[in-house]
Amino acid sequence: MMQGRAISPGRAEGEVVKIDGTFSFLGGVNASTGELNNDGRNIAGKVFVFYAGKGSTVGSFVMYDLMIHGKAPAAVVNRTAETIVTTGAVISSIPMVDGIDIDVFMEGDRVVVDGDKGTVEIKGTKTIGVVSSALLNDDGRVLMLQRPDSARSFPGRKSLVAGKIEAGEKPEDAAPREIMEETQIKVSKADASLPPIYVREGDIVWEVYPFLFRIGSQAPVLNKENVGCEWISPSEIKKDASIVPQTNDVVKRMLESMK
Amino acid sequence: MYLTRDEEGVLAGEEGESSRKAMELVVALGKIYGAEDLIDITSAHLSGASYKTIGDGGLKYLEDVVKGGARVSVPSTLNPIGMDRDRWKEMHISPAFAEKQLKIIELYKKIGVAATCSCTPYLGDNVPSMGDHVAWAESSALSFVNSYIGARTNREGGPGALASAIIGKTANYGLHIMENRKPSVIVDADIDGSVFSYSMLGQAVGMAIGGGIPYFRNIAPTVDDAKTMSAAMAASGSVAMYHVEDVTPEAGNYDISGLEVIHIGEKELKEAYDKLNTADDVQLIALGCPHLSRKEMKDIAAFLKGKKKKNKDIEIWFCTSSKVREECAEEVKIMEEFGPVLADTCMVVAPIEGVFKRTGTNSAKAGNYLPTLCSQEVACMDISKLMEVVI
Repeated sequence: MMQGRAISPGRAEGEVVKIDGTFSFLGGVNASTGELNNDGRNIAGKVFVFYAGKGSTVGSFVMYDLMIHGKAPAAVVNRTAETIVTTGAVISSIPMVDGIDIDVFMEGDRVVVDGDKGTVEIKGTKTIGVVSSALLNDDGRVLMLQRPDSARSFPGRKSLVAGKIEAGEKPEDAAPREIMEETQIKVSKADASLPPIYVREGDIVWEVYPFLFRIGSQAPVLNKENVGCEWISPSEIKKDASIVPQTNDVVKRMLESMK
Repeated sequence: MYLTRDEEGVLAGEEGESSRKAMELVVALGKIYGAEDLIDITSAHLSGASYKTIGDGGLKYLEDVVKGGARVSVPSTLNPIGMDRDRWKEMHISPAFAEKQLKIIELYKKIGVAATCSCTPYLGDNVPSMGDHVAWAESSALSFVNSYIGARTNREGGPGALASAIIGKTANYGLHIMENRKPSVIVDADIDGSVFSYSMLGQAVGMAIGGGIPYFRNIAPTVDDAKTMSAAMAASGSVAMYHVEDVTPEAGNYDISGLEVIHIGEKELKEAYDKLNTADDVQLIALGCPHLSRKEMKDIAAFLKGKKKKNKDIEIWFCTSSKVREECAEEVKIMEEFGPVLADTCMVVAPIEGVFKRTGTNSAKAGNYLPTLCSQEVACMDISKLMEVVI
């Protein structure tokens, strides 16, 4: 179960139809059939997942027209809600949730959207809570660990200092414990944190609690969980397959929150 | 978001289904913009009046709102519609369009909205006072009342403004909050002071800054100047408020030292002009975006008096509100020699595509929207220059 933000009330279940970018209902969909233009897919009765709305404000009324024709999506999930789609969803009584990274959804996933609680559940997946901590040293660099090829999650990739939250453990307690285990570095209270983000890996949804700790000039001593490490400047954290998804975004947001 | 017990009640359906839906929308919009609570409004102005812009989806929505028994709870006015209610045939409008357009007007009336259908309600039909919280759609009008009057509104969408009008409240964020009304950039303007130069200034500033709250120095706009400049800046950019030193009511509230300064002069005005001018000749000359004021009607009539329309192939439309048309009987007589004085509509929201391909206007706002909403090539220049080809 993923926690986003409740935008338009109601609860619905359906199959995901996903567009990776922004979407304009005006010109983007046939209001009498629900078919996406130049696409072939149909959003009628589906959970329509896209990054955000764009285009003409008339788009709200196109959503209403879909509803009148019985071709409205069962629910809408956005990364970021804006006025047009929010308005269209509310007036057309389409449940809507935002604030969830849409990378977590795959085409055809069966999902339950709860527009009252602001939650989305992907059927057949398991949600596992983890902490992921950026350690910031005096040079303004962040510690990246190299995961072994045998790692169970994201093998061979670079990551922040991450690990599972144990049963009954609070995320803010799990983070210092993992840091001590993996690097022998001692931290107390986090200098920054974010609400959980969600990362998909097959049938697992990682519920990641990000933290940032200033660690002064302490040097890491690795245990067996990682095969190497390096200090890199935040601007050098790439957005590619060499690094665990969303690391770049999470570090950037935490550094901004400290300004 | 914090809701009072009464507001929670409305959301729970205690005041009926239409109020519940309206509250749901206002709360959802407040949520996405981080509003902490709701605030009472004194008036609303709604967009989404032309059948051309809202289409069948919008028409059905309004029918359902009426069925739900909704009534506005604050004075509310409406934006221009797609045609003059009586003279639509002169605008080459089809009977099918006219029928749906008239239906839309009737639906708004049933909700209690005054169907004055103008984009300049602040000139008489709906005039907020300084400090009033209002929920206005229509980007040019809301920028005018924020800036020139000191009323407070965000850029509402049509259904959001209607929902606010029904419950008498809007979400408290953005320009409703004093500290968000402070200037973000200083604009030192060098213009000749004609109404058209204010249109180009607005265009140039929108192009230069996109959004934000400009603080103008070195200009002294009249109501008509501010009307056209507000419209231009909201169309070429997303400016919903500005200040003018020694002119607008809130300009003196702020310490502007340290703000970035941009200069708009001959070069920038030329760039703005070039961007808008894409047609060499025109088939229609349309004035009144935003709707012509009484003073503009007088100026145009004075300019046309004693002249003859020579080129009969070019149509001329003068667009204004019913109110101004009634008040300017003498001027209307002179102007009608050149073309119809149309009430409660304009060339942007009327379905002129398919009838005309090239339109002349003195409005930078129309210059922005005619290509996208009406598939027109545009000549954008001041009135005397536009009229050279017909008189």
